[in-house]
Amino acid sequence: MAQIEVRNLRKSFKDDAVLKGLSLNVDKGEIVALFGPSGTGKTVLLRLLAGVYAPDGGTIDLRGRDASGTPPEKRGIGMAFQNFALFPHMTARDNIASALTARKADAAEIARKVDAVARLLKISHVLNHSPRELSNGQKQRTALARALVAEPDILLLDDPLRNVDAKLRYEMRLELPALLKRAGSTVLYVTQDFKEAMALGDRIAVLLDGEIAQCDTPARIYAEPASIGVARLFGDPTLNLVEVEPRMVDGVPEILVGGALIRLPASYAAAAGGNYMLGLRPESLHLVDGAPPGTIAVDLVAVTPLNEKSVLLFTMEDGNELLASEAGDREVPRCTGPSRLALDLDAVLLFDRACGRRFIPADNMGARL
Amino acid sequence: MSASLSIRAVDKIYHPRGRSSVHAVNALSMDVGRGEIVALLGSSGCGKTSTLRMVAGFEEVSAGAIALADRRVERLAPAARNVAMAFEGYSLYPPLTVRENIAFALKRGRLSGSDVARRVQQMAALVEIESILDRYPNSISGGQQQRASLARALVRDADLYVLDEPMGQLEPQLRAVLRGRLKRLLKDRAMTSIFVTHDQTEANALADRIAVMEGGVLQQFANQHDLKERPANLYVATFIGEPPMNVFDAAVVRTGDRTTFELDHGPSFGFGDNEFGPEVRQAIGNRRKIVIGVRPHRVALGGGCGETARVVSNQWLGDQSHVAMAVAGKLMVVVSHVRVRATIGESVPYGVRAQDLHLFDPQTTLALAHGVRAA
Repeated sequence: MAQIEVRNLRKSFKDDAVLKGLSLNVDKGEIVALFGPSGTGKTVLLRLLAGVYAPDGGTIDLRGRDASGTPPEKRGIGMAFQNFALFPHMTARDNIASALTARKADAAEIARKVDAVARLLKISHVLNHSPRELSNGQKQRTALARALVAEPDILLLDDPLRNVDAKLRYEMRLELPALLKRAGSTVLYVTQDFKEAMALGDRIAVLLDGEIAQCDTPARIYAEPASIGVARLFGDPTLNLVEVEPRMVDGVPEILVGGALIRLPASYAAAAGGNYMLGLRPESLHLVDGAPPGTIAVDLVAVTPLNEKSVLLFTMEDGNELLASEAGDREVPRCTGPSRLALDLDAVLLFDRACGRRFIPADNMGARL
Repeated sequence: MSASLSIRAVDKIYHPRGRSSVHAVNALSMDVGRGEIVALLGSSGCGKTSTLRMVAGFEEVSAGAIALADRRVERLAPAARNVAMAFEGYSLYPPLTVRENIAFALKRGRLSGSDVARRVQQMAALVEIESILDRYPNSISGGQQQRASLARALVRDADLYVLDEPMGQLEPQLRAVLRGRLKRLLKDRAMTSIFVTHDQTEANALADRIAVMEGGVLQQFANQHDLKERPANLYVATFIGEPPMNVFDAAVVRTGDRTTFELDHGPSFGFGDNEFGPEVRQAIGNRRKIVIGVRPHRVALGGGCGETARVVSNQWLGDQSHVAMAVAGKLMVVVSHVRVRATIGESVPYGVRAQDLHLFDPQTTLALAHGVRAA
């Protein structure tokens, strides 16, 4: 059952329409990562859910009940927002405990719960510090601890790891999902980092232009993005885009990429005659020996290692650039110069150049309907 | 033609008024070959930016020598060093257009007007600012200013190119392509370059060698392969790599022809003398305590590996799986470019091979052995 159900939500500030009819369901116990570029209204949506703002139109149901008219403090929502909002005169411990003392819980029980959550968030050593003695990352984790300790059934988290240094952020990214699952909360988690969205979300809701452009599992969003706008937000480096005009040759759909004719699977037949953007993930391009048909002649410009991958920058015969990546253990040529690239046809993405939507190959249609 | 750079026993000590002095750079010595690209990498306050500013001439050295080829420069004014610098704070001249800013760097040379125009155009194309060449710095974005500043530094002929966080402000999509183009340019023209970054991805992508600094001290100066496979100490081991090396405290137990590392409150990893050569056994010596490390990409998951551990998290990022397992009260992180299907709570077999093990001295934190070779 949906714990959070948003229908057709609209919100403008002066003449700036931020949310333009947004709909989203979050099921009980589910973690949904709300992901999108900055300025797309992610925080606005959280504030509407929390009751800090009132919507211009649309409905918000929490736990199956219309939340309109319910003030923020009666919505039963735990929150950790970006501006921390810690009480400056209280220690970190008292800030975290404030979520429990309001409910007149037993003191020993409170101390135990605060210690447990502080250990998980690695702030045990600063519990007796006041907020001004904490780094931004520690303030953020204190605010997160305060939201978590009360074990709310609905939790709204606004980029809670944003100011945390890279190493700790990585550790938290690994540990946070289990922590949230243990609490059983229904979570809407705002982030601007695609890796964090993929790592933490059961599903990812991609917010673009005031609407949810796609809401699906991380693996599906990566492999089957709904649009070019969604596809570009995922991957490091992000996908290559090449203009193509598929046409039928001897009953097979073909595209021209950098001077090379590439035969697509028959399921792309319906794309013939249209104007498309070909999306190629860097990891779906591979260097090949010799010059087999259907491979692209390229010039290797540079090899730039990236974590355990090597990122290769190529120019094609038409002057356009392509990025490919090879996983760490593969042999990568160190010398620049001419070579050839094959593309993994299973990973090909075609987007309509006019509307940006992904072309869905025919063999997938059946599964969808 | 660029020159080699030599830094000899350089110190930088700041004396802030009313507070105790700060040893920002401590006895730093390093050599950068002609045409080599070197990154100064470290967290904030490690001394990397002070070093860069001393090389460019914007800070005085407290002690030591800096030379470009055979020319001592540490007492010269910045303009007399023939060093081109791109600042993190951009520092474009506001009354000049972007084009004029870039061309300004060439003014003192004896180039014809058309040569200047050609060079500016070429550099503008490289960093993708052709469309804003006639605009003024205050009317363009931070990322565009950074690219203009980079173009201004790269357009002239200099003995050394000094770049401060050259791509910090750029959006990720452009960054990957720009890195490739920049590296090709620096290599093709053999431009000796030294750049500061806090981002190891940037350092790995561009640099031939990386100088890892911490607390004003050079921890290791090596290529990225050696930083990962042969880290000099625990700091480098747990700083380099995304994610960094897994490290555990262990007791060393020697029985018959086997060496076993017993993790505190955790599993044991045993290796026969046929796996560990005498070189490694000698490096271990008669130590009872040791720190063992294994990189996340080298932990072997799957059948018949020996130990088992409970999966705490399993995250697929589109092209790689990151799995965290509970081992000895900590997390052991495993990264695989093949998707791992394990579920949370499941016990999975895993193993660490002798050739992937790193050993460190717990007291000095220095490396003792890497794989089957002594450090």
